Amino acid sequence: MVEVDQLTKSYPDLQTGKFVALDHVSFSVGEGEIFGLLGPNGAGKTTALRILSTVLQPTSGTASINGFDVTKHPYEVRHSIGFVSNNTAIYERMTAWEMVEYFGKLYGLEQERLEQRMETVFSQLQMNEIRDIAGARMSTGMQQKVNIARAIVHDPPVLVFDEASLGLDVLVARALLEIISKLRDEGKCIIFSTHIMREVERLCDRVGILHRGKMLAYGTLAELAAQEQESDFEELFFRMLKNSDAQREAAEGDKNVVKTVSLWGNS
Amino acid sequence: MNWRHIQLIFQREMSDQLRDRRTLFTITILPLLLYPFIGMLMTQVAQFKRDSSVSIQVFGLENWPKQLPLLDENGELQVRPGMESLVKGVTFDPYDGSETDREALEKLAKESIDKDRYDLVLFVEENFREKLTKRLKADESASSESLSAGELPDQSAAEDTATDPGVENLAAEDTPSQEVFADKEEAERSLSNDGLSIIANLARDKSQLAQRRLGDVIRIWQKEWTSLHLTDAGVNPKVFEPINLQATDTAPTAVKKAMLWAKILPFVMLIWALTGAFYPAIDLCAGEKERGTLETLLSSPARRREIVWGKLGTIFVFSVASALLNLFSMYLTASLIVKQLAAASPGLQEALGPMPFHALGWLLLLLIPMAAIFSALALAVAALARSTKEGQYYLMPLLLVTLPLVAIPMMPSLEMNLGTSLLPISGAIFLIRAFIEGRLAEAFVHMPFVLGVTATCCWFSIRWAIRQFESESVMFAGSERWNLRLWVHHLWRAREDTATPPEAILCGIIIIVALFFGRIMAGAGTPTWLFIVQSTIVVQVGLILTPCLLMATLLTRSVRKSLRIHRPQTSHVLAAIALGFCMHPSYMLLAEAVTQIYQVGDDTKAALSGFEGIVTSAPLWGVICVFALLPALCEETVFRGFIFGGLLRQKGVLRAIIVSALFFGFVHPVLQQSISACFMGVLLGFIAWRTGGIICTVIIHAINNALGIGYAWLSANDYELPPALAWAMQTEESGAWGYTETWVFVSMLLSIALLFVIARRSTETQRFIQAEMA
Repeated sequence: MVEVDQLTKSYPDLQTGKFVALDHVSFSVGEGEIFGLLGPNGAGKTTALRILSTVLQPTSGTASINGFDVTKHPYEVRHSIGFVSNNTAIYERMTAWEMVEYFGKLYGLEQERLEQRMETVFSQLQMNEIRDIAGARMSTGMQQKVNIARAIVHDPPVLVFDEASLGLDVLVARALLEIISKLRDEGKCIIFSTHIMREVERLCDRVGILHRGKMLAYGTLAELAAQEQESDFEELFFRMLKNSDAQREAAEGDKNVVKTVSLWGNS
Repeated sequence: MNWRHIQLIFQREMSDQLRDRRTLFTITILPLLLYPFIGMLMTQVAQFKRDSSVSIQVFGLENWPKQLPLLDENGELQVRPGMESLVKGVTFDPYDGSETDREALEKLAKESIDKDRYDLVLFVEENFREKLTKRLKADESASSESLSAGELPDQSAAEDTATDPGVENLAAEDTPSQEVFADKEEAERSLSNDGLSIIANLARDKSQLAQRRLGDVIRIWQKEWTSLHLTDAGVNPKVFEPINLQATDTAPTAVKKAMLWAKILPFVMLIWALTGAFYPAIDLCAGEKERGTLETLLSSPARRREIVWGKLGTIFVFSVASALLNLFSMYLTASLIVKQLAAASPGLQEALGPMPFHALGWLLLLLIPMAAIFSALALAVAALARSTKEGQYYLMPLLLVTLPLVAIPMMPSLEMNLGTSLLPISGAIFLIRAFIEGRLAEAFVHMPFVLGVTATCCWFSIRWAIRQFESESVMFAGSERWNLRLWVHHLWRAREDTATPPEAILCGIIIIVALFFGRIMAGAGTPTWLFIVQSTIVVQVGLILTPCLLMATLLTRSVRKSLRIHRPQTSHVLAAIALGFCMHPSYMLLAEAVTQIYQVGDDTKAALSGFEGIVTSAPLWGVICVFALLPALCEETVFRGFIFGGLLRQKGVLRAIIVSALFFGFVHPVLQQSISACFMGVLLGFIAWRTGGIICTVIIHAINNALGIGYAWLSANDYELPPALAWAMQTEESGAWGYTETWVFVSMLLSIALLFVIARRSTETQRFIQAEMA
């Protein structure tokens, strides 16, 4: 369903010259599977998912969704994907019903099918009470539900949730996880990015840990636990990040040492 | 392109904007309230201005001639024909104190002004009446002198004056002195009557008004005084108005009524069209970035192009609606005010009556393409902004660029011609004015040019907007902290083989600014050959080439690559040499056409003629070096090298060709040269692109300049045209060398064929150019 191979994305940066947001990241996700993309803030999760949703172009590497390459066939990719992010807001002056209908029409659903899907989605997400409420008057939880509804209204095979539970209260976050779980049961391929360990443990079949644009680890929770000999996932996550930073510092330290040696040598 | 997507986005954006109270208020409510409010305010101000009276204190009223008193027995203005409107406007207050000393009176007057008791003080000097009468006597004396000098006498008038008892009586009553001036000079001196003087604080508006109104009163009084004395002397006062010009106005009343509106309304309408486009554009672009909804839309199946068209449609509707409502409201208010004013002044009704209905139709026709251009420009500019606040900052530059173009047609001396019809926006306004004023033949002749320019502008604006949306940066919101040190450091670290597009544009701007100041500072030196050589070297090397070389050295990793010094294919070099000769007749034809359209001013002609005289007396090799080789090397290195190479990146072929041609045109000091150079720049840009470097364009440029200046030099130095060239060239009536019509036509065909040769590229050149465009 989703194949990502050596995906790299860099931006020009005043401070460092070039900022590498994604550095040769690879992973794949199958049908009926939830893949957790895990990492601290600034790890490159959003960049990766924005590339998958064709909003950004990769600097190098390839990614395909449902068999369509994200750079060569972006239009087909967008039809195969539902993208929910904490950055994707809803229109303030549209009601929930209007918003979902608008996106349904953009996805090319016929009126009859659209109405059918909207009824299903509104019932499934328990949104019937808010269907006539304008976006500006909704709570964060309601807005996120509308966001999910507009992302799944065309019944895409692949769903991408980028830190979708950010800012939600416990009840709404729990409901969101249940929705995602149900969607998996329907056979959807789901990529779920978060930095909350409990959500990963509860939901994901496989995870990839991103840090500073690099994929540190990739596999099922059990595989990662065996690999790192740590059953507590949160602890495992911290340890991996710590080791990665330590290795990086050591590498930088080595460079400094080499510089120092050469300086001494020169003198 | 999916039209369903465009329609959906358009409908959503429309309903979204219509649900926004602020937008609705700005677009609909504000114009409907604004103009009536302004109108009311203006009427009141005008009323206040009419009603507001100024007070004038008069010292020495007893010195005023009694035949024609200034004030009546009640101390109010003695109303004479023409003074009716001034009665309420001026209040005179004669000084009734006992002080008689002139200095003390002056002190009192100044005090009155300083303490704001009066707006103006009028002094009628003691000798005022006497001087007036002396003037009469001086006229007589001058008259008799004229007679003795043998000038044509008005015998009857002279006799009448001498025997008129009225004049004698006047003189007897008013003039203590019966002095007759001895000579004419003395009589002339006496004519300067300083018997009236004023004291006022002219920094105050009311004092200025008092001065104007007093001036009106004195003028009318003076006319009557002159008239009275002329009549007494048996001279018809009309003798001083010997000509009564009869005018027959062929303009239909409807057209006359339309004239003022035709100037004002397009201006107001287009300013509102721009404003009406800009605010929705900011909301639909920068506003959506801020709210996070743009990313939602970008991840939907709608293509970027479709999003642009949908948003553009909405902005267009709001631009048109805003302009129309403002137009309607302003027109209605102005019509009512005019009607009200016309009741008092019937002439105003004819000059400012309601605008003919067909004129409104033409204005609407103008609005559509203009709103399209403004909408696309506004959307593209708004896409640059990361936030609404930043977007609002961009309104001012957009207005500064657009305002002069909208204001040019309001200039009184400018008419529609081929030159003005080619100006974006201005040309369209000129065209609509021609339609409104009923100059249909003129309008239809220029219509294709206006439509062509307008369509091109629309196309470029929309293309720019789409390009903005296709860029990833359209998505990024929030402000960015800018740090000069980091930025300079980044520029140095991130140097690439060639310049970036912003660096290329910056180079062009630096050169234009340097040339502007350079030319001002150089001033007008002594026009000698040495001066011309020095100034050309300074301009070409110092102001054009040096900034480019500095930028290439500091901002790129490879000077050679950034200047596009690349060995061309042999076939391209040979074609370029041939093209240099074949294109010259076409270039001469173009330059002539441009001169026909945009006439060269007399001053410029005189300056160029002097310049030509010096150049043609200099040695030919020197002339070729200075005017052909040097500019070809310097200008091509800069415009087809550094600037073109920078703009060519990211597949910006069209951008590189057009922008480099515009910069190339701008550096030429004479407008006509600039226009021809722009066209030439486009062609050279194409050649520079296909050949992958500047060598071929240097060759073409050098040959073109050498032929132009060489022919002028040879013909000016009385060289005979070689008979071997008779098939292609001829000597014009002016003695200059020119091309035969046959050769012009054949050379054009040959040029096209040679351009095809240049367009063919070897695999190696192809690869090189693709790398350049990456």
